[in-house]
Amino acid sequence: MSWDALWLSLRVTSLATLIMVAVGLPVAFLLARRPFRGRTVVEVGIMVPLVLPPSVTGYYLLRLLGREGPVAAWLRADILFTWQAAVVAAAVVGLPLFVQAARAAIAGVDPALENAARTLGSSEVEVFLRVTLPLARRGLLAGLLLGATRAFGEFGATLMVAGNIPGRTQTLPLAVYDAVLGGQYALANRLVVLMTVLALGSLWAVRRLEEA
Amino acid sequence: MARLTVDIRMRLRAFRLEVSLAVEDEILVLFGPSGAGKTTLLNAVAGLAEPDEGEIRLGETLFFRRRPGVPAVNVPARRRRVGYVFQHYALFPHMTVLENVLYPLWRRPDAHRRAMDLLIMMQIDHLADRYPHEISGGQQQRVAVARALAVDPAILLLDEPFSALDLAVRERLQRDVKRLQEELGVPVIYVTHRLEDAFAVGHRLAIIRDGRIEQVGAIEDVFRRPATRAAAEILGLRNLFHASVVDISPDGVVLDWDGFVLEAAPQPVEGPAVTAYIRPEDIKVLYPDRPLTRAVRHNCVEGLIVESRHRSGFRELHVRLPNGHEVEVRFPHYTYTPLDLEEGRSVRLSLRKDAVVILSTCPEGAQVPSGVG
Repeated sequence: MSWDALWLSLRVTSLATLIMVAVGLPVAFLLARRPFRGRTVVEVGIMVPLVLPPSVTGYYLLRLLGREGPVAAWLRADILFTWQAAVVAAAVVGLPLFVQAARAAIAGVDPALENAARTLGSSEVEVFLRVTLPLARRGLLAGLLLGATRAFGEFGATLMVAGNIPGRTQTLPLAVYDAVLGGQYALANRLVVLMTVLALGSLWAVRRLEEA
Repeated sequence: MARLTVDIRMRLRAFRLEVSLAVEDEILVLFGPSGAGKTTLLNAVAGLAEPDEGEIRLGETLFFRRRPGVPAVNVPARRRRVGYVFQHYALFPHMTVLENVLYPLWRRPDAHRRAMDLLIMMQIDHLADRYPHEISGGQQQRVAVARALAVDPAILLLDEPFSALDLAVRERLQRDVKRLQEELGVPVIYVTHRLEDAFAVGHRLAIIRDGRIEQVGAIEDVFRRPATRAAAEILGLRNLFHASVVDISPDGVVLDWDGFVLEAAPQPVEGPAVTAYIRPEDIKVLYPDRPLTRAVRHNCVEGLIVESRHRSGFRELHVRLPNGHEVEVRFPHYTYTPLDLEEGRSVRLSLRKDAVVILSTCPEGAQVPSGVG
């Protein structure tokens, strides 16, 4: 069993999920509640990894994160072919699923409740934390689960930006690929079953959250 | 006592809201059809909607001002101390009754005691630990009022608070609102589209249509004497008609309604052509074999019943008069039982002289020309 790969996948997924929330929650809120100029551009930009071939998404990230790219200049560090690059790739492909669900969840909260909170003395931040967030909770959790599951299963873009270095950047999906290439079908079977069970469990939980 | 003055203009999707209004220590009923701008007006007062220009002021406190040449002011909703009871109560569904009332109080050391006091005052303290979906509409309404009072409001706004409640509950809550206003001594704006509610709670009535105030005045006055045809229509008055004035004397006003000469009680009249109405309940059916009493001997006319309907609580006839117009007549089911009042029959009617109301076409406060009977 590739314990290294499993541990790396968990680390990458957790960090990617944090990034998804940090970036996705404000964006989802703006899209749901504050119509602004250029919202379509933002929406399309966030959604496009859903429909692009993963290798194309990966190529864009390669250019962004690479030595001459803006991110490297800003961070003063080249994170290509490190596990951190895998985190970025995972976050980018998970983000659209989270934003879509979060936006619907926030839009589903009755604006009259937020107005009531305002007349009861709440600032905008307080309205969000005490009214909007708790009421959108289930939808947000469902979106988070979907995004995290997608991040966990990320393969193509990760391969482009983080490579496939066993013990360093090889996540579970990449380990499956290696196992098949190396003819280790017993290992591949175990990994595939594990990932399938996780994915099914996650979808089941999402359904439960959305139903109630 | 702080007086609320509103003088705003605001472009909305369908029309312009253009309102100028003052509310003292009283209940002002804002009455009008849905989509007239009532809720938007409340939202502007509460700070939830921003007018394009104008001024909103409570006593010395400026809530909102946008005028050329002076600095703009827009106090955020959270600082206005406006108690707002929303149309569907807007109770927080994820909080219990007590938590809802605690919501605005959470920073105060005596929050819990204050919240309980409010629950006791609204007689819902036994529901403190229930969630909004576990209590009745009338109870939810009381929670909404208790929560609005928790901010120590300087104004109270009620948006159709009783529209979803049954009659008995509504009557009790109407009394509550009146008592509350007397205790708080603050301006209250009460939005409704039900005339019964307006009469039950209000001191003054403002009729609003398409974003404009058609008329403001004491409720009885507005109802007895709508200033315009629009106001009368909004109040749901039937049997509106145009007539020309034939004679004005101390005994009354004589009108000519396309050939039907009518006597009306002495009242202000403006111009040679007027709009008048008579309530359906004030048109009496006459028995052919009985002598006319004093009350019904004026304005007798024979007409043809074109429609006869049994409504809940009353009977409704539509009668075509010789002048070609139709009038609506209403009476309780138990009256006129010996008469055959079916469609196609003719019937003798009397339009009670003292019930013929001539609408004044001049705005409130304007001069009524001489010729007042």
